[in-house]
Amino acid sequence: MTQHTLGASQLFKRVLGWGAILIGGIALLASLLGWLLVGQRGLVSALIGASMAFIFVSLTALSVWIGGKLSLGGFFGMVMGGWLLKVVLFLVLVGVLKRAAFIDGPTLFLTLVASILGSLAIDSLVFFRARLPMGE
Amino acid sequence: MDVTNIAAGVTGSLGVIGYGLAAVGPGVGVGLVVSKTIESIARQPELAARLQVTMWLGIAFTEALALIGLATPFIFGK
Repeated sequence: MTQHTLGASQLFKRVLGWGAILIGGIALLASLLGWLLVGQRGLVSALIGASMAFIFVSLTALSVWIGGKLSLGGFFGMVMGGWLLKVVLFLVLVGVLKRAAFIDGPTLFLTLVASILGSLAIDSLVFFRARLPMGE
Repeated sequence: MDVTNIAAGVTGSLGVIGYGLAAVGPGVGVGLVVSKTIESIARQPELAARLQVTMWLGIAFTEALALIGLATPFIFGK
Protein backbone atom coordinates (compact mmCIF):
# COMPACT_ATOMS: atom_id res chain seq x y z
CA MET A 1 0.00 0.00 0.00
CA THR A 2 2.35 2.71 -1.18
CA GLN A 3 1.36 6.35 -1.08
CA HIS A 4 0.68 7.68 -4.54
CA THR A 5 -2.24 9.17 -6.43
CA LEU A 6 -4.96 6.57 -6.90
CA GLY A 7 -8.11 6.62 -9.00
CA ALA A 8 -11.33 5.58 -7.26
CA SER A 9 -11.33 2.28 -9.21
CA GLN A 10 -7.83 1.39 -8.03
CA LEU A 11 -8.74 2.31 -4.47
CA PHE A 12 -11.80 0.05 -4.45
CA LYS A 13 -9.88 -2.81 -6.11
CA ARG A 14 -7.26 -2.46 -3.39
CA VAL A 15 -9.89 -2.32 -0.60
CA LEU A 16 -11.65 -5.43 -1.92
CA GLY A 17 -8.38 -7.33 -2.40
CA TRP A 18 -6.92 -6.56 1.01
CA GLY A 19 -10.35 -7.06 2.62
CA ALA A 20 -10.64 -10.51 1.06
CA ILE A 21 -7.16 -11.48 2.28
CA LEU A 22 -7.81 -10.24 5.84
CA ILE A 23 -11.27 -11.81 6.16
CA GLY A 24 -9.87 -15.04 4.67
CA GLY A 25 -7.24 -15.02 7.43
CA ILE A 26 -9.85 -14.32 10.10
CA ALA A 27 -12.03 -17.12 8.68
CA LEU A 28 -9.13 -19.56 8.89
CA LEU A 29 -8.24 -18.61 12.45
CA ALA A 30 -11.86 -18.51 13.62
CA SER A 31 -12.72 -21.85 12.02
CA LEU A 32 -9.68 -23.44 13.66
CA LEU A 33 -10.66 -22.02 17.06
CA GLY A 34 -14.31 -22.92 16.46
CA TRP A 35 -13.34 -26.48 15.55
CA LEU A 36 -11.19 -26.84 18.66
CA LEU A 37 -13.66 -25.23 21.10
CA VAL A 38 -17.09 -26.19 19.75
CA GLY A 39 -16.50 -28.85 17.09
CA GLN A 40 -17.97 -29.01 13.61
CA ARG A 41 -20.70 -26.46 14.41
CA GLY A 42 -18.00 -23.96 15.38
CA LEU A 43 -16.13 -24.49 12.10
CA VAL A 44 -19.26 -24.05 9.98
CA SER A 45 -20.39 -20.99 11.97
CA ALA A 46 -17.00 -19.29 11.64
CA LEU A 47 -16.98 -19.82 7.86
CA ILE A 48 -20.56 -18.55 7.50
CA GLY A 49 -19.85 -15.51 9.73
CA ALA A 50 -16.76 -14.53 7.75
CA SER A 51 -18.58 -15.04 4.41
CA MET A 52 -21.53 -12.89 5.57
CA ALA A 53 -19.17 -10.12 6.69
CA PHE A 54 -17.23 -10.22 3.40
CA ILE A 55 -20.36 -10.14 1.24
CA PHE A 56 -21.99 -7.29 3.14
CA VAL A 57 -18.86 -5.17 3.49
CA SER A 58 -17.93 -5.70 -0.17
CA LEU A 59 -21.42 -4.76 -1.34
CA THR A 60 -20.97 -1.27 0.14
CA ALA A 61 -17.67 -0.71 -1.66
CA LEU A 62 -19.09 -2.18 -4.89
CA SER A 63 -22.22 -0.01 -4.76
CA VAL A 64 -20.10 3.17 -4.36
CA TRP A 65 -17.64 2.01 -7.04
CA ILE A 66 -20.28 1.06 -9.63
CA GLY A 67 -22.55 3.99 -8.62
CA GLY A 68 -19.64 6.38 -9.19
CA LYS A 69 -19.83 5.59 -12.91
CA LEU A 70 -23.51 6.68 -13.02
CA SER A 71 -25.17 10.09 -12.84
CA LEU A 72 -25.52 11.69 -9.40
CA GLY A 73 -29.11 10.42 -9.01
CA GLY A 74 -28.03 6.94 -10.10
CA PHE A 75 -25.16 7.04 -7.63
CA PHE A 76 -27.33 7.82 -4.63
CA GLY A 77 -30.01 5.40 -5.81
CA MET A 78 -27.42 2.65 -6.06
CA VAL A 79 -25.82 3.38 -2.67
CA MET A 80 -29.05 3.87 -0.68
CA GLY A 81 -30.97 1.14 -2.52
CA GLY A 82 -28.04 -1.21 -2.01
CA TRP A 83 -27.98 -0.38 1.69
CA LEU A 84 -31.70 -1.03 2.09
CA LEU A 85 -31.49 -4.32 0.18
CA LYS A 86 -28.50 -5.37 2.25
CA VAL A 87 -30.18 -4.74 5.62
CA VAL A 88 -33.32 -6.64 4.56
CA LEU A 89 -31.21 -9.54 3.24
CA PHE A 90 -29.17 -9.57 6.43
CA LEU A 91 -32.32 -9.69 8.59
CA VAL A 92 -33.72 -12.60 6.56
CA LEU A 93 -30.38 -14.46 6.80
CA VAL A 94 -30.21 -13.92 10.57
CA GLY A 95 -33.82 -15.12 10.93
CA VAL A 96 -33.08 -18.31 8.96
CA LEU A 97 -29.66 -19.08 10.49
CA LYS A 98 -30.79 -18.39 14.06
CA ARG A 99 -32.99 -21.47 13.97
CA ALA A 100 -30.46 -23.68 12.16
CA ALA A 101 -29.15 -26.60 14.20
CA PHE A 102 -25.67 -26.45 12.61
CA ILE A 103 -24.98 -22.92 13.90
CA ASP A 104 -23.11 -21.96 17.05
CA GLY A 105 -24.34 -18.41 17.73
CA PRO A 106 -21.39 -16.95 19.69
CA THR A 107 -18.81 -18.27 17.18
CA LEU A 108 -20.73 -16.80 14.24
CA PHE A 109 -21.25 -13.47 16.03
CA LEU A 110 -17.62 -13.10 17.12
CA THR A 111 -16.29 -14.04 13.66
CA LEU A 112 -18.68 -11.55 12.06
CA VAL A 113 -17.66 -8.74 14.43
CA ALA A 114 -13.93 -9.49 14.01
CA SER A 115 -14.29 -9.53 10.21
CA ILE A 116 -16.26 -6.27 10.15
CA LEU A 117 -13.79 -4.48 12.44
CA GLY A 118 -10.85 -5.87 10.45
CA SER A 119 -12.32 -4.72 7.15
CA LEU A 120 -12.97 -1.25 8.64
CA ALA A 121 -9.30 -1.06 9.58
CA ILE A 122 -8.32 -2.06 6.02
CA ASP A 123 -10.75 0.51 4.54
CA SER A 124 -9.30 3.29 6.69
CA LEU A 125 -5.71 2.27 6.02
CA VAL A 126 -6.14 2.14 2.25
CA PHE A 127 -8.16 5.36 2.21
CA PHE A 128 -5.78 7.41 4.32
CA ARG A 129 -2.67 6.13 2.54
CA ALA A 130 -4.08 6.93 -0.88
CA ARG A 131 -4.00 10.45 -2.22
CA LEU A 132 -7.08 10.74 -4.33
CA PRO A 133 -7.09 12.99 -7.38
CA MET A 134 -9.38 16.04 -7.18
CA GLY A 135 -11.52 14.77 -10.08
CA GLU A 136 -11.94 11.53 -12.04
CA MET B 1 -52.58 6.66 30.56
CA ASP B 2 -48.97 7.19 31.64
CA VAL B 3 -45.87 5.63 30.12
CA THR B 4 -45.53 2.96 32.85
CA ASN B 5 -49.00 1.61 32.15
CA ILE B 6 -48.38 1.57 28.41
CA ALA B 7 -45.04 -0.26 28.89
CA ALA B 8 -46.71 -2.80 31.22
CA GLY B 9 -49.16 -3.67 28.46
CA VAL B 10 -46.41 -4.49 25.93
CA THR B 11 -46.14 -8.20 25.21
CA GLY B 12 -43.87 -10.24 22.91
CA SER B 13 -40.14 -10.30 22.36
CA LEU B 14 -38.18 -7.26 23.55
CA GLY B 15 -35.45 -8.34 21.13
CA VAL B 16 -37.58 -7.07 18.24
CA ILE B 17 -37.40 -3.54 19.70
CA GLY B 18 -33.62 -3.93 19.99
CA TYR B 19 -33.28 -5.02 16.34
CA GLY B 20 -35.44 -2.06 15.33
CA LEU B 21 -33.20 0.34 17.23
CA ALA B 22 -30.15 -1.30 15.65
CA ALA B 23 -31.55 -0.35 12.24
CA VAL B 24 -32.81 3.14 13.18
CA GLY B 25 -29.52 4.55 14.52
CA PRO B 26 -27.32 3.66 11.53
CA GLY B 27 -30.22 4.56 9.20
CA VAL B 28 -30.18 8.11 10.56
CA GLY B 29 -26.35 8.11 10.40
CA VAL B 30 -26.20 7.00 6.75
CA GLY B 31 -28.92 9.54 5.89
CA LEU B 32 -26.84 12.32 7.44
CA VAL B 33 -23.66 11.22 5.65
CA VAL B 34 -25.46 11.12 2.30
CA SER B 35 -27.30 14.42 2.78
CA LYS B 36 -24.07 16.23 3.69
CA THR B 37 -22.35 14.71 0.67
CA ILE B 38 -25.15 15.95 -1.60
CA GLU B 39 -24.82 19.42 -0.08
CA SER B 40 -21.07 19.39 -0.58
CA ILE B 41 -21.34 18.20 -4.20
CA ALA B 42 -23.92 20.93 -4.88
CA ARG B 43 -21.45 23.51 -3.54
CA GLN B 44 -18.39 22.11 -5.29
CA PRO B 45 -19.33 19.73 -8.13
CA GLU B 46 -15.69 19.41 -9.21
CA LEU B 47 -14.98 17.50 -5.97
CA ALA B 48 -17.77 14.95 -6.56
CA ALA B 49 -15.47 11.93 -7.11
CA ARG B 50 -13.44 12.65 -4.02
CA LEU B 51 -16.52 13.32 -1.88
CA GLN B 52 -18.17 10.08 -3.04
CA VAL B 53 -15.17 8.05 -1.92
CA THR B 54 -15.02 9.90 1.40
CA MET B 55 -18.74 9.24 1.83
CA TRP B 56 -18.11 5.52 1.37
CA LEU B 57 -15.78 5.49 4.38
CA GLY B 58 -18.45 7.26 6.48
CA ILE B 59 -21.09 4.77 5.38
CA ALA B 60 -18.76 1.81 6.06
CA PHE B 61 -18.28 2.89 9.68
CA THR B 62 -21.96 3.65 10.22
CA GLU B 63 -23.23 0.42 8.71
CA ALA B 64 -20.78 -1.62 10.78
CA LEU B 65 -22.93 -0.66 13.78
CA ALA B 66 -26.04 -1.84 11.95
CA LEU B 67 -24.50 -5.19 11.00
CA ILE B 68 -23.23 -5.83 14.54
CA GLY B 69 -26.59 -4.76 16.05
CA LEU B 70 -28.60 -6.93 13.65
CA ALA B 71 -26.38 -9.96 14.35
CA THR B 72 -27.01 -9.85 18.12
CA PRO B 73 -29.82 -12.48 17.94
CA PHE B 74 -26.97 -15.02 17.61
CA ILE B 75 -25.83 -14.27 21.15
CA PHE B 76 -28.85 -12.73 22.93
CA GLY B 77 -31.86 -14.24 21.23
CA LYS B 78 -33.38 -17.50 22.36
